[in-house]
Amino acid sequence: MPFERTTDKRKQDIPTSSMGDIAFLLLVFFMVTVVFTDESGLVVQLPRAEASEEGIRDLISNIYINRDGLISIDDVIVRATDVAPIMSNKIVENPFMIVAFKTDKETPYRAVDEVMEGLKEANAVKVLFNTDMEIPGFMY
Amino acid sequence: MASTSDVAFLLLVFFIVMPMKTDEIGISLVLPGKSNVNDTAKVNLKNVATIRVLPSNGILFDEQPVRLSDLVRLIQDRLTSNDKTVVILETHPDANYGMMVACLDEVKLSGARKFSLKTTKI
Repeated sequence: MPFERTTDKRKQDIPTSSMGDIAFLLLVFFMVTVVFTDESGLVVQLPRAEASEEGIRDLISNIYINRDGLISIDDVIVRATDVAPIMSNKIVENPFMIVAFKTDKETPYRAVDEVMEGLKEANAVKVLFNTDMEIPGFMY
Repeated sequence: MASTSDVAFLLLVFFIVMPMKTDEIGISLVLPGKSNVNDTAKVNLKNVATIRVLPSNGILFDEQPVRLSDLVRLIQDRLTSNDKTVVILETHPDANYGMMVACLDEVKLSGARKFSLKTTKI
């Protein structure tokens, strides 16, 4: 007696009709939660470092210093002597604030030192020297 | 209408990838401020290793000229011989900030936990 081949005639398609709905749902979620920075700062070329660590973005307040020694806080060019009063106000608003130095690698250290003195005066002591990540053994 | 989900996925990828572009990486430090001024301690000169960044961006380690690539080994040797070693990174105001960060990077890589920044008085 010949064997009868039994084949499963059920459809095996994966339903994709709800794919667009899921995509839009996720899209709305990411659009709502994404945070874009609105600070343009100054054009700087950051130094490279291997021992870099990640700063907590929400706590960070940026200070840009370009290679000519120009200082920018919140897109306003300020003098080094203005750093202390500005940062004093900011530290009151956010006591856990981390000041990120976005400084050009060719900037004379004098400018950075003056800003750091202002930060000490304002008691904004947590700083992050922003760097580009250097990959060990990789030549740029 | 068929391409709507394609567009949605494209936008989705954009909004997922955008926040990942982190530029908040760097070397963190706590400066001596008004509140932690009492934390300052006197250190025996024998326990101090000084790195000096010159205006020419040359480097001195305990007054001896060294290459940047040798700094990690030199600091580690000092730490091995004396675990109380405090590294002082003294930078001249005319030196480049990039060189100061490069030295600070080497100090961090060497595993030195006690270090401080100083500016050369002129």
